[in-house]
Amino acid sequence: MRIRLNSIVVDDQEKALRFYTEVLGFVKKQDFPVGEYRWISVVSPEAPDETQLVLEPNANPAAKTYQAALFAQRIPLTAFEVDDVAAEYARLEKLGVTFQAAPQRMGPVIVAVLSDTCGNWIQLYQLV
Amino acid sequence: MIVTRAMHARLCDARELLCSAAEPGLPIEALAARVRVSPFHLSRQFAALFGVTPHQYRIAARLERAKQLLARGELSVTEVCLELGFSSLGSFSALFSARVGESPSAFQRRMRRLWTVPGELPPVLIPGCFMLMGQLPAEAAAQFSRSAPSARSLECGA
Repeated sequence: MRIRLNSIVVDDQEKALRFYTEVLGFVKKQDFPVGEYRWISVVSPEAPDETQLVLEPNANPAAKTYQAALFAQRIPLTAFEVDDVAAEYARLEKLGVTFQAAPQRMGPVIVAVLSDTCGNWIQLYQLV
Repeated sequence: MIVTRAMHARLCDARELLCSAAEPGLPIEALAARVRVSPFHLSRQFAALFGVTPHQYRIAARLERAKQLLARGELSVTEVCLELGFSSLGSFSALFSARVGESPSAFQRRMRRLWTVPGELPPVLIPGCFMLMGQLPAEAAAQFSRSAPSARSLECGA
């Protein structure tokens, strides 16, 4: 048993693909049309053969309610590890990304939480 | 940009109002007043947080709602158009066709063929992502395997 795929629901797959590649810097791994939607996955350029993140279409009303509630409560849906949160924060803010706050130390990590513009908060963390 | 808790709450309220079926034609200025943000700041900060302007967000939400109502099959195209507050059938059809790639009536006919239970959404419109895996072409499956030779030819190596 291996963890090779994970998914994140997004309100617009095309917008999500742009944000996750052009802004965050991930690389598109798969992109296939499937019925009304697309199967899109991205990977980290630092580990292109490891875990893929699937950008999942969010058309299910129940999933939308869940996503909107988490977003309103400022709860991150997932977290990505970075080497330097402060540097990523500075880079992404220049690109127009919205954060909940400047990077903050929280126990053993420094974190910054950003909006992926597709309905999710994403936490960046750096191990201290 | 940093979004404060207070502004974040207002932007979430604005998003909810934009999706609300109760007031489909609420002008953006009125929406801004309702959530106590200036129209300029609302558009700018909303776009930074949600990736699109309030106006674009409402269009997308209305079209999504239109697709669901059409797919359920209980309302005609004209009834869906009125339900969503479009001023004319022509503008609704033109917008729907441009964004969805087929006319509302063609979409409704196609969805009707996919019905399993009348009045419910066809499964194709409520995807669980990993259920889509079963419909992927063979070359996609090869990309799941680390040892597959095709994994090396991917553009992610660039």
